[in-house]
Amino acid sequence: MTIYAVEGLCVSAGGQPLVSDIGFTIGRGECVALVGASGSGKSLTCLAPFGLLPLPVAGSARLRGRELIGMSPPSLRHARGHDAGFIFQQPLTALTPHLKVGRQLAEAWRQAGKGRPRRTDLVALLDRVGLDHVDERLDQYPHRLSGGQRQRVAIAAAIAHDPALLVADEPTSALDATLRAAMLDLLGRLREGGLALLLVSHDLPSVARQADRIVVLEAGRVIESGAASTVLRTPRNAYTRALIEAAPHLSEPPPLLPPVGPPLLTAEGVCVSFPRPGRRRGRVQAVADATLAVHAGEGLAIVGGSGSGKSTLARAIARLGPIDAGQVAWAGRTLPARGRMGRGDRHLMQPVFQDPLASLDPMWRVRDIVAEPLRHLRPGLSPIARAEAVAAALGDVEMDSALADRYPATLSGGQAQRVAIARAIVTQPKLLLLDEATSGLDVLVASRIVSLIARLQHERGLAILFVTHDLALARRLCARIAVMAAGRIVETGAMESVIARPAHPVTRALVVASQ
Amino acid sequence: MIRPRAPGLILSAIVLAALLLPPLLPWRYDVIDWGGVRAPPLSPGHLLGADGVGRDLLARTLVGARVTLAVAAAAALVSLVIGVAWGATAGWIGGRVDEAMMRVVDALYALPFMFVVILLMVVFGRSILLVFLGIGAVEWLTMARVVRGQVMALREQPFVIAAEAAGAPPRRIVTMHVLPNIAGVALAYLLLTVPQVVMIESFLSFLGLGVQEPLTSLGILVKEGADDMDISPHALLLPGGLLVAILICLTVLGERLRDRLAA
Amino acid sequence: MRALLLRRLATAVPTLAAVVLLSFLLMRLAPGGPFDGELAMDPATRAALVHAYGLDLPLPAQMLRYVGGLARGDFGPSLVYRDFTVTDLIASGLPVSLTLGGLALTLAVMLGISAGLIAATRAGGRTDRILMFAMTLLTAVPTFVTGPALVLLFALALGWAPVSGWAGGDPAHLALPVIALALPVAGAIGKLTRAGLAATLRQDHIRSAHARGLSPSRVLLVHALRPALVPVASYLGPAAAGMLTGAVVIETVFALPGLGRHFVQGALNRDYPLVLGVVILYAALILLFNLLADLLYGWLDPRMRG
Repeated sequence: MTIYAVEGLCVSAGGQPLVSDIGFTIGRGECVALVGASGSGKSLTCLAPFGLLPLPVAGSARLRGRELIGMSPPSLRHARGHDAGFIFQQPLTALTPHLKVGRQLAEAWRQAGKGRPRRTDLVALLDRVGLDHVDERLDQYPHRLSGGQRQRVAIAAAIAHDPALLVADEPTSALDATLRAAMLDLLGRLREGGLALLLVSHDLPSVARQADRIVVLEAGRVIESGAASTVLRTPRNAYTRALIEAAPHLSEPPPLLPPVGPPLLTAEGVCVSFPRPGRRRGRVQAVADATLAVHAGEGLAIVGGSGSGKSTLARAIARLGPIDAGQVAWAGRTLPARGRMGRGDRHLMQPVFQDPLASLDPMWRVRDIVAEPLRHLRPGLSPIARAEAVAAALGDVEMDSALADRYPATLSGGQAQRVAIARAIVTQPKLLLLDEATSGLDVLVASRIVSLIARLQHERGLAILFVTHDLALARRLCARIAVMAAGRIVETGAMESVIARPAHPVTRALVVASQ
Repeated sequence: MIRPRAPGLILSAIVLAALLLPPLLPWRYDVIDWGGVRAPPLSPGHLLGADGVGRDLLARTLVGARVTLAVAAAAALVSLVIGVAWGATAGWIGGRVDEAMMRVVDALYALPFMFVVILLMVVFGRSILLVFLGIGAVEWLTMARVVRGQVMALREQPFVIAAEAAGAPPRRIVTMHVLPNIAGVALAYLLLTVPQVVMIESFLSFLGLGVQEPLTSLGILVKEGADDMDISPHALLLPGGLLVAILICLTVLGERLRDRLAA
Repeated sequence: MRALLLRRLATAVPTLAAVVLLSFLLMRLAPGGPFDGELAMDPATRAALVHAYGLDLPLPAQMLRYVGGLARGDFGPSLVYRDFTVTDLIASGLPVSLTLGGLALTLAVMLGISAGLIAATRAGGRTDRILMFAMTLLTAVPTFVTGPALVLLFALALGWAPVSGWAGGDPAHLALPVIALALPVAGAIGKLTRAGLAATLRQDHIRSAHARGLSPSRVLLVHALRPALVPVASYLGPAAAGMLTGAVVIETVFALPGLGRHFVQGALNRDYPLVLGVVILYAALILLFNLLADLLYGWLDPRMRG
């Protein structure tokens, strides 16, 4: 039985078509995944027919036989309140902050005209989405819940009225690997009750396990569709293939990594704490007693979920963040405190951050941004030599030299991240600190940035400290791994042996989630 | 609702008129024309009439606007300097210093400032210097809060940390990376401070506690006009209208800039 | 929440103490004594007066005496109105000012929030732009212009309301002053409500609420309005200060026997104890409103309860 059928769907803005001629059908208990890079129109496709975007829609979208296109807003609202449920990317902000969980669920429940729910109904609902301590959760405000718990409540609110179709727009992108796997499992279980699922994602391999069929979008058009396993194994389209290959996966063969030298950067007993937010007293221990070493030419990955303290640790080691205690040494020599780091110390290691646009001063031109480390760390350089070094660094990151006079706001995310890398390597450092350096980018762009870094690693014998939540991605650059959870390093070792025989439960969960 | 350029153009016209026009008029603002007492608008020599003692209203209004704008500009600049210095210091250093500095701002915020300024006037006598020093000292608080918030946000921005990694000394990071990035917001709040100051100055003058005769300001003129409004309403409407025009133009310009930067 | 409130209280008390101390010192540092203007006074009388007012005591003792008086609700004698204490004057003026301010604040909140709501539901449309321009107009026009302008229009030209006076709180006499006092605050609240709603309506939880099929009015009133009013709550302190300041003008324009009038008269006559007493009272009122705003935060957004 077909629940939702889309045919010849077009969405436009200001006369410009954004998506055109899209078609697919979802039957009872089926899952269709809409996959594409950002800007491919996948969210538009799933939200516009339901009147959730203020854009003109043409074509046909039938939910349980009723045509949605051309429906009046109140009827669309009725359709959303009865037959369809929605979950979105950001679990932290999906719930209304000033209403208790129970009240929001009851409100969603009543939408379908089922009357006021009993408390036991709501308890059963939260049980269905796998939440613990259900009874007390009903009386809590959303901010008391963790990200994963909030996403579960958001799903519960979306299915409270027993819809026939659940539309999930990037439901797992903001979650770390372990939570992501759990969430996909949950969605799978809901399908067993007959719920039809429209899943939107940029991550083809991760949704392929869940979906019956995959529809691949590029620039607003369907370029490939078919059974999930067929699309995944034998993609016909080059773009689909690129999407599959770009997403890192543990089943890919381990990369060839450069040889390893003596220890460069060593950290011992590092502790970092922050004042408890919103409180006068008490501190949160962000990193506790962390010890690690990065060898010359080696990649070390610090892998962990969000909030595990991995970025805080990396910044503390690089003397770019606060540190309470602990020794940090470079080739045996203790590094001075953050405020005392001299020229000679700073030029040893350079950082690249997650948000590429935020890491470039919006008031500066690309040329000056890349030149800044030279100005301070190699003050003896003549202006001409400096300009040459900047041009060489931009060449190294495969940037068009015509972009050197641009301001960051005019660059794409990938270009901005290349500029940030150029700035990091222009002084020829020995170690690169990559703080989630590809997480803010599209799959395809991220994959190209990783290839770029791998090339630099081989050419220059750069050591890399790679902070990431993505185990499979870390494996592309790093031969060793340190797994962090709740501020502590819980496991370290060679990448391949840790993946093959994870010792700590957190590592095991990471490995399972990445497969 | 209003054309995008209108506020800027109107404001420029008012400023230019206030600066250039008075010497060209037949009567000075403080000279009494015994034959022109309460002259209605469009009288010979008094384009917009004269007040109860025969002083030319147009000249008085323009000079009043000049004084009001001068006091406002000076006080706004004082507030800019104090506010940016205070807010940037607190936001950049952070921790206990920040807490102590912002506690001071909170405490000052909680004061009935208008009344403290009046208190100062009562105690030390009235002088135009005191008027704008007092007002500047009041109005820097919002600027300090805004600047501190901006600096704190910027301090954690990756590009500022990258500058630190690039070996830039703190003073250079503040002057080259932080301050240029808050300049727009500071300018927007400067523009919004000016109407506040205009308001306070006119308020004090209206109560007879600000600028003193024979010097005049829009507040004094509104007061004089209000006293005579049953006889010659134009004496209230002219300075009042000009004051309102100045306030609206500045507010619209400031809000527009602030909203554009926030977007 | 309680911790926040205690912390605010811990700031408020020293702030008030500082106001009392500084204002008191300023008064005593003033060049010239309070009786300088009275040339005809012979030295013996002057000495007796100075002694009677305790002005011959050392400064700390004077201070203690004043604070001790404050604790008993005694603000000292008025220097100009010889037959009254400052407490008498405040007691006579406060009800007038509170009536005026309370009514104006209520009117401003109702007007402002409604205007903000209407504008936000028609975001980008003509109603929105007209309303928001009107709100800017209201904030930009000072009370000492609106007051006389209202009188000119409604009292002198149309004759709908009396020109001035209190008449024991007669509603007809109150209408114009209350409106004049409320308008600028209503404008500011309208703008804050509109901006708060615009920011809130862009948030994900609003999209989720729409996706659940809730009606637009329910989304607006149940899901969006409360968090959107946080900026309005934080404006409450400044609004109270603005009301007090505005009341000074309005009471002068409309000849109402409120605190503001006493204050202006006191300031013009150099009646130090009167000015001092009113400033301290005003400071206390503003601090009270700031505390009220803190309480409101917690209700508007539970995340702020800590």
